[in-house]
Amino acid sequence: MKISRLLTWPIVSLWNALFWTYDRATWQYDLMVIAILAFVWLTPPTWLGDPTASGPGLVGWLLTLIN
Amino acid sequence: MTFTGAIGALCMFPLSALISVSVALRVHPNVLTFVGVLINVLAAWALALGRFTLAGTIMIVANVFDFIDGKVAEQLELRSAFGGFWDSVMDRFSDISLFIGLIYLYAQLGRTDYVMITALTMMFSVLTSYTRARAESVIVKCKVGFMERPERIVLFMIGAFTNRMAAVLWVICVLSILTVADRIIYTWRELNHDPIGTVT
Repeated sequence: MKISRLLTWPIVSLWNALFWTYDRATWQYDLMVIAILAFVWLTPPTWLGDPTASGPGLVGWLLTLIN
Repeated sequence: MTFTGAIGALCMFPLSALISVSVALRVHPNVLTFVGVLINVLAAWALALGRFTLAGTIMIVANVFDFIDGKVAEQLELRSAFGGFWDSVMDRFSDISLFIGLIYLYAQLGRTDYVMITALTMMFSVLTSYTRARAESVIVKCKVGFMERPERIVLFMIGAFTNRMAAVLWVICVLSILTVADRIIYTWRELNHDPIGTVT
């Protein structure tokens, strides 16, 4: 039972994220907010072809540092 | 208390003071709604000029009015069916104004791709509200989907203050499409007596 739950967990989580029924101020809502803010602030503007922002952003800066 | 709940509670302190002032002055809530819309048009103008920080600041002021109108109506016992209708229509007007400001900016910059992305985002943002309003004329409640107006407005402000409007538009666009789809599926299943909820 536990193994089957573990195996279906990613699919169930994806379904719950896509078919959103959670209220505000729940931990699921917080998690979604963190994911959105991470995308907005970490994605290099050049990857999205941002017409008003330029530069590599935090991810681009980290990649440059690693390379 | 969750992270977002704590931010909400923190923002309530200055707003409570403004609500008290409006109640003391007996400002009609419909007037507050209208003033909020006028200020939002100014924010749209700032967006059109590419002055994002100014636009973000104006958006904060506009949305303070938008937030307090309902609370003032409640405290002054002026809640009415027309007030709800007026508020809803003015919200759409504010939303569309902001998108038009961005469309103008991207058109000026010669970026047809982002003109299209903004137009698509605008279309699905309006559909998000429409699907719920229409659904609730045939079923009791249709409050599913993540990207509702408060989320949209906060994201707009984040995009304006941190100059990450492109990323914000992508997020609003994708999540608005999902929200519209959620509401269509939910309504279809409710009408076919096949309720759906969170899978555990």
